[in-house]
Amino acid sequence: MTKNENRCVVTGLGLISAIGNNVAECWENVKKGVSGIAEATAIDTTDCYAHFAAQVQDDSLEDLPDAEQMDRCVKLCIKASGEALEDAGLTDLGDQTSASVIMGSCIGGVSSVEHYYRNGRPAADVPKIPIAAIAPAVAKTYHAGGVVTNIANACAAGTISIAYACDLIRAGKAEVVIAGGTDALASIPFAGFLSLHALSEAPCSPFNHCSGITLGEGAGAIIIESYAHAMQRKVRIYCEVLGAGISSDAYHITAPRPDGAGQMYAIRQCMKQSGITPAEVDYINAHGTGTAKNDEAEFLSLHTIFDTENPSLSVSSTKSMVGHCLGAAGAVEAVFSIQALTEGIVPPTVGYTEADLPCLQQRAGQMDFCPNQAKHKSLTTVMSNSFAFGGNNASILFSKKPGNLTLPEKQERIYLTGIGVVSPLGNHLDSLIAQFAAKVPMRSKSAESRIDRSDFAAYGLKSSFYRKLDTFSQLQAGSGMQALQDANYLVTDENATDIGIVVGTSDGPLSTICHYQENLFEKGTAGGSAFQFPNTVYNAAGGYLSICSGIRGYHATLTSGIQSGLASLAYAVQILRSGQSKAILATGTDENSEIVTEFYEKLGCFAADGAFHLSDGSTSILLEQESSCRARHATPYAEVLGYGMACKATDFAQLACSESACEQAISLALQDAGISVDEIDGVIGFADGLPVVQQIEAEALTHTFTNCLPVFHVQSIAGEGRAATAALSAAYAALMLSGKLGEIVACDNGIAIAANLLHTLLILSYSMNGGHTAIILSKAQEQEM
Amino acid sequence: MNQQEIAEKIKALLCTQLGIEAEDLTNEIPLFADAPEGLDLDSIDSLEIIAGIDEEFGVSMTGVEKEVFYNVNSLAAYVAAHIA
Repeated sequence: MTKNENRCVVTGLGLISAIGNNVAECWENVKKGVSGIAEATAIDTTDCYAHFAAQVQDDSLEDLPDAEQMDRCVKLCIKASGEALEDAGLTDLGDQTSASVIMGSCIGGVSSVEHYYRNGRPAADVPKIPIAAIAPAVAKTYHAGGVVTNIANACAAGTISIAYACDLIRAGKAEVVIAGGTDALASIPFAGFLSLHALSEAPCSPFNHCSGITLGEGAGAIIIESYAHAMQRKVRIYCEVLGAGISSDAYHITAPRPDGAGQMYAIRQCMKQSGITPAEVDYINAHGTGTAKNDEAEFLSLHTIFDTENPSLSVSSTKSMVGHCLGAAGAVEAVFSIQALTEGIVPPTVGYTEADLPCLQQRAGQMDFCPNQAKHKSLTTVMSNSFAFGGNNASILFSKKPGNLTLPEKQERIYLTGIGVVSPLGNHLDSLIAQFAAKVPMRSKSAESRIDRSDFAAYGLKSSFYRKLDTFSQLQAGSGMQALQDANYLVTDENATDIGIVVGTSDGPLSTICHYQENLFEKGTAGGSAFQFPNTVYNAAGGYLSICSGIRGYHATLTSGIQSGLASLAYAVQILRSGQSKAILATGTDENSEIVTEFYEKLGCFAADGAFHLSDGSTSILLEQESSCRARHATPYAEVLGYGMACKATDFAQLACSESACEQAISLALQDAGISVDEIDGVIGFADGLPVVQQIEAEALTHTFTNCLPVFHVQSIAGEGRAATAALSAAYAALMLSGKLGEIVACDNGIAIAANLLHTLLILSYSMNGGHTAIILSKAQEQEM
Repeated sequence: MNQQEIAEKIKALLCTQLGIEAEDLTNEIPLFADAPEGLDLDSIDSLEIIAGIDEEFGVSMTGVEKEVFYNVNSLAAYVAAHIA
């Protein structure tokens, strides 16, 4: 049985969707088989072949405090999160670092992109646009002070958020987490799915007519607590969250693998981690989008895994009632799965006529897809599956029993074994090292990386692949392939699922999103580009990297501002420690362009004294378990000793008092690494030319360290490349610890230091919403493994 | 507009809409065959070609047999035969 310290329990639920503005309303309508799909009113569907959507009807969203500062997706999320907290008997999380917010989203504030261009480009819209705005807004409202981040894996985001929340709780990094997902209906996804001919003319009909999806909107939030925390509070427990399985297809940017291999790996990993057999799964809330390709692959996966051991399994797609809520889908469906489990009622898949039923029976065999009517059934364990663009698969189990979850008895040490860099300073590690040695400060206000077909050829990638990728994805593919080469890590069929990808980005493919929107103004909703649409989603970069590298294991894209490039390393450490992967490419990627520079101009970043240099790029870092390093005889750059994250959520770029969060992140990192503050030999800081940021860093360091430590910054040379620079700071530390930056290094104030005196370095980063990440690297004990 | 002029317009469309390098694109190269013999286009590219030709020439390519999509010449021949 799962040990009590590894148990994660659900104590609160919140939901808003097209069929209700709270859990009770939505669930009553699910039980009755009521569909919320109707003619779309929020989007101009003139000249479109499809006109349906599942829209939220809630006039009270505008009454939320500070509503004018929020995109609709944030309002939906705050509403659902508030309901979930109240349901769990919590009102205020007291700024505790043990209280976290992990939110999934596919498109974030793209409605605000539309508003921005339609209304004379107001600066007030800019902070509403990134997905990274969502979790801090929830944290600010309910005072969560721990890990505050967003998962941006398109339609699997909601499920991965819940999985990551549980990883944090099991690692003792959090005691209570608001986890879930949110997305609001917007023109870009409507136009994009329309251009792919993936929208259904009629209301979607999953596992039936399979003529496409109907877009929905909404938010789902669940309160997950450690078992001990819930017992201490003596609150009602809905159920346990067991294990999760997360994988990548490495196949196609929009279509799932027809053989279902990636989906099946995720489902099997989920059951394996949970210690559950296929026979013990009583109900599956399927991904069930209603496209021919999804439903075909999903029928195949479910039949292959369950037919022998569990032929009478119940399966349904609640998307038939709430539409496809994209990044919220996994969270909305988690709430339905938990309600089903608690009440012993299997939700229906609606939309079948009498004439459809013989065909369903032929395709479903003995499996019960619950056509049109909910059913009573005794349920002990239920599964929820989400499969996304980019070939991203996620599966999670909820149960009335604690399951048999197993975690490694002893956590493996984690080593940093490969670095890949694309930056305005050059597209190779050697050129970057030369630039670091030369210490030429960046002068231009705004710098952009350049990567062309010849760079791709050097990474062994075809130019036909290069052309499909937008700049954001090109940067990521470039640094990712370089890091694998640098580590001499050969991805093969045998080890493809042992290695994963965690992409960190502050702003995602912002230029592509804005161009897409501008194009829609010109051509209308029916004029969206099928070619460009896949590149508008944040996780396209990770998806392409998976395709070109062949990596098929763990896969996530996180976005929490500038710190994302360091937060991705922290995330990877967690996944490696829990034994869910043997190696992970952790990255930081952000692009710069005229549009991105315009946005940072609107935020006032260039107003000060010209010290802020906006930049971009991609840094990929391969992290490996010690056993993987040894098996490959890898030579590590450094060892990752530990990490800490904390947030004092503020309005965007206000950062007031966030030095306290920085100090907490450092303190948590020291605790995680099991070392004292005196053992830190130097700091790689985050000051990037913004006066308020410099002040926060200075204060946090003064409060933490009694002696004066050498401080280094890569921003003065590489600019503020956001997630790319945060990850580059870690790469810089690793290069210094491994002696690659030479025997003598000069810190910021020009003092020369013998590199061999630096054993342990602290790397820091921040977000403009008050989040901080700290990572500690040390010299690898053995240079050769 | 003769077939050669149509072919040039189609090539321009493929370069702008699908990011194909002009130097790689001849009238003869098979669009959907694997590189290096072909240009490695896929199903998403075909949707973009259909939308682009409809917009540029007012010719609907929906449901047209796949042989028509073989190369720029075959596309231009189809458009030339169906343009109003």
